[in-house]
Amino acid sequence: MSFYQYKDTIEEGDLVFAFISRGTIKPIVITRDQQLNTRYGHYEHNDMIGMKYGQQMAGARGYGFIHLLHPTPEMWTLSLPHRTQIVYTSDSSYIMQRLNVVAGTRVIEAGTGSASFTHSFARTVAAEGRLFTYEFHEPRYNEAKRELEEHNMTGNTLITHRDVCNDGFELDNIPENFQHDGGINGDVIFLDLPSPWTAIPHLNSVISQTSRVGICCFSPCIEQVDKTVKALQDEGWTEIEMVEVAGRRWEARKDMVKDIKDVVKRLKDIQSRKNQGIENRRHAKVKSGEKRDHDQVDSGDNGSDSDKKFQNLGKGFNPFGKGIRVREGDDGFEWRNVTKVEGEVKSHTSYLTFAYKIPVPS
Amino acid sequence: MTEVEIPEVTTSSDESTRIIEKSSKIITAYQHALIRLPSEGLKIVQLRPDGVISLGKFGSFEVNEILGFPFGQSFEILENLKVKPTKSISQLHDDGEAGENSDEAIEDVEKEKDELTKMFSNSAEHNQNIINIGSKIQKLSNEEIDELKKSGATSKIGQTIIEKMIAGHEGFEKKTIFSQQKYLKRKQQKFLRRFTVEYLGASQLLQYYIEKDIQRVLDMSEESLGLLMTYANIRPGGRYLVIDETGGVILYAMMERMKGQGSIVLVHDNEHPNIIALRHSDYPEESINSMIKTINWLQFVEPDNEKIDWEDATAEELEEMKPSKRAQYDRRSKRAHEINEVINIVQEGNFDALVSVSSLHMPTLLEHVLPTIGGSRPVVIYNQFKELLLETQHFLMSDKRVLAPSIFESRVRAYQTIPGRMHPLMTMRGFGGYVLWGTRVIPKESGVQAIGRGIIKRKREDTPSTEDEKSDKKPKEE
Ligand SMILES: C[S@@+](CC[C@H](N)C(=O)[O-])C[C@H]1O[C@@H](n2cnc3c(N)ncnc32)[C@H](O)[C@@H]1O
Repeated sequence: MSFYQYKDTIEEGDLVFAFISRGTIKPIVITRDQQLNTRYGHYEHNDMIGMKYGQQMAGARGYGFIHLLHPTPEMWTLSLPHRTQIVYTSDSSYIMQRLNVVAGTRVIEAGTGSASFTHSFARTVAAEGRLFTYEFHEPRYNEAKRELEEHNMTGNTLITHRDVCNDGFELDNIPENFQHDGGINGDVIFLDLPSPWTAIPHLNSVISQTSRVGICCFSPCIEQVDKTVKALQDEGWTEIEMVEVAGRRWEARKDMVKDIKDVVKRLKDIQSRKNQGIENRRHAKVKSGEKRDHDQVDSGDNGSDSDKKFQNLGKGFNPFGKGIRVREGDDGFEWRNVTKVEGEVKSHTSYLTFAYKIPVPS
Repeated sequence: MTEVEIPEVTTSSDESTRIIEKSSKIITAYQHALIRLPSEGLKIVQLRPDGVISLGKFGSFEVNEILGFPFGQSFEILENLKVKPTKSISQLHDDGEAGENSDEAIEDVEKEKDELTKMFSNSAEHNQNIINIGSKIQKLSNEEIDELKKSGATSKIGQTIIEKMIAGHEGFEKKTIFSQQKYLKRKQQKFLRRFTVEYLGASQLLQYYIEKDIQRVLDMSEESLGLLMTYANIRPGGRYLVIDETGGVILYAMMERMKGQGSIVLVHDNEHPNIIALRHSDYPEESINSMIKTINWLQFVEPDNEKIDWEDATAEELEEMKPSKRAQYDRRSKRAHEINEVINIVQEGNFDALVSVSSLHMPTLLEHVLPTIGGSRPVVIYNQFKELLLETQHFLMSDKRVLAPSIFESRVRAYQTIPGRMHPLMTMRGFGGYVLWGTRVIPKESGVQAIGRGIIKRKREDTPSTEDEKSDKKPKEE
């Protein structure tokens, strides 16, 4: 039950996320005598067995490192094999919060796709809840089914190969432990398929008849929302509201403080050196192949601030490290903390159309 | 922080214990519920059988009238504290706005439609000529409205008022049907005596505080709450370390997701924790106490000093104690055991997440907290100011015990949801806060060569450098 519960020590057969960088997280199943080979080093599975989850591991050949992480639905979303577009955490977390998906909720989801949201739903509805997920594309269905089995999720998640738009959601042989009052009785519906409006009329027989049911339809185009809203109205859903979630990730960066006084001072310095012919000598030195690593830049850390900026290497006053490689945050310079939005913002994922259905008072 | 005044709510513990298992589905006696008014006002009420709930100018009704209906049901206030179940407040307008779908069976909707049709017969096709909908087009004075409202107690009053308003609305005829409907919707929401009873989930509780006192929830939006719960991987059976300065809204959201399984250690900065929001939670005090252990920062930071040296009295000693002495002994014993227990839990550490919603300075606080979080567990920190999380993120990046800390921002934008006329609403909230998410890791103490610098250095040692000096290429992350 790795997606449902933490453990501390890595064992053979565990699903582990090898975190190489934010963009490269590799799910691996720990298998004796296997190796994880990356551009950033080589890692023996045998060595991972017995390590703690969260531990940093050095590459077998003395360079590179990775972190060994425990599975969570959020890590899965960042690392899963994409078979389709997927729902990301900023959307899924909001949908679950708004529709009050908690332990014990019965959820109906179509289509399963790459099972990104499926993992998140399954975790949150937990052992008491149930997730009924449908996928009509056979290879995708098979892949997802295999994943759910490998991830030990079949205790609360039932995947069905079905075209829900034509054939609806009803199941003939619901396993006993998945029934509620003899049926599916969904509390929450999530539709992420091209024509949700054709699936909506089929929902009536599989949703709770005694309590309020919430739905979210996830569609990228406004035309789809139009049709969805009409279908929801026709089927008696209320409180229909469409929203969009804008999710952004901010990176922490450092920006060098460049004081105008230092700029002026440097210009004066250059001028006076020119006058003294020192500039020429400097050029000669560079030619002789002497290059400076930033470590050397770091080294002159005794004395005052402006001493530091005066790199004292015969190159004059160089407060901003011109011409040498300066890394963000290097000592010897002044920095301030800034944020920068991630390189590519997901500016539109989909429109989220929410609605509720209340049983008709008897 | 001052407590918001909520007149109807006074939970005496004997009442909350009458709830055996609270229902999130059926309107149930003794539970708290959220009441949504047409004006979009919110109220939290406790549903005491035989009690009467007053919705101010909208009227009053008897609690018994609404018990047994599903949560989410709308009602209309009738005379003599009676109500009748009705379609949702929004559906009226949904129908109205959809316009054409007329096979609606519910009687009162038909009636309203009749009213609307009558007025719409004179409608203009285009709305170029509409004078700005301001106070100018409003012929009724406030006094007139009040008088009308006082003059009778029937549900028709709202309707009458609306009709009057339309009659007195010079520009109304010049509007398109659509604009007329929109106008009616606004007016109806203001005056119809309808309300909806909702389950008081975490989102509802948050929304309530957002409207009453947003500072109390540190500007947090529903989407940020969702991010917190998801990134912290909250689920039944977890053991969480929590800092919650919202007075318990975060705790409530967690408890809702945990369904009584698992545990929470709440760290607080006063002598006693403020968990006032949990009084609406309908969780019996015993289950709150067994699930949530509290510890103050002094005890957290100096556990060994704060542990209480305690030896249980022997059976004989207990025997000899006078009743008053005995009561005192029991109190002290309870307190000592509680404090020592929670200190032990913290010293044991290995929590399944850190969830922090706090205005405390994180870099100094995290020094004490990080060692107690288990390997590969999420660290999730909320703040209303991005700059404060930025500081935290820089701290974590150099600290190395939290992997890939990132600041997330999530903003929900609502649309006018009418087929053919979808567009974002003109305004949206500016607040909402930010969530930092990272993963607690166990860095290797030495012998790790970061790929970026390491490889480049090696290359340099091996071969004469060909690196472009001016290259400002960033090193690979981590
Ligand atoms: C965008 S993907 C869903 C992604 C998923 N929400 C996730 O987070 O990974 C849409 C999926 O719906 C499936 N689908 C489309 N129409 C369907 C239908 N009528 N019945 C069942 N599945 C359908 C597609 O095959 C596709 O895999």
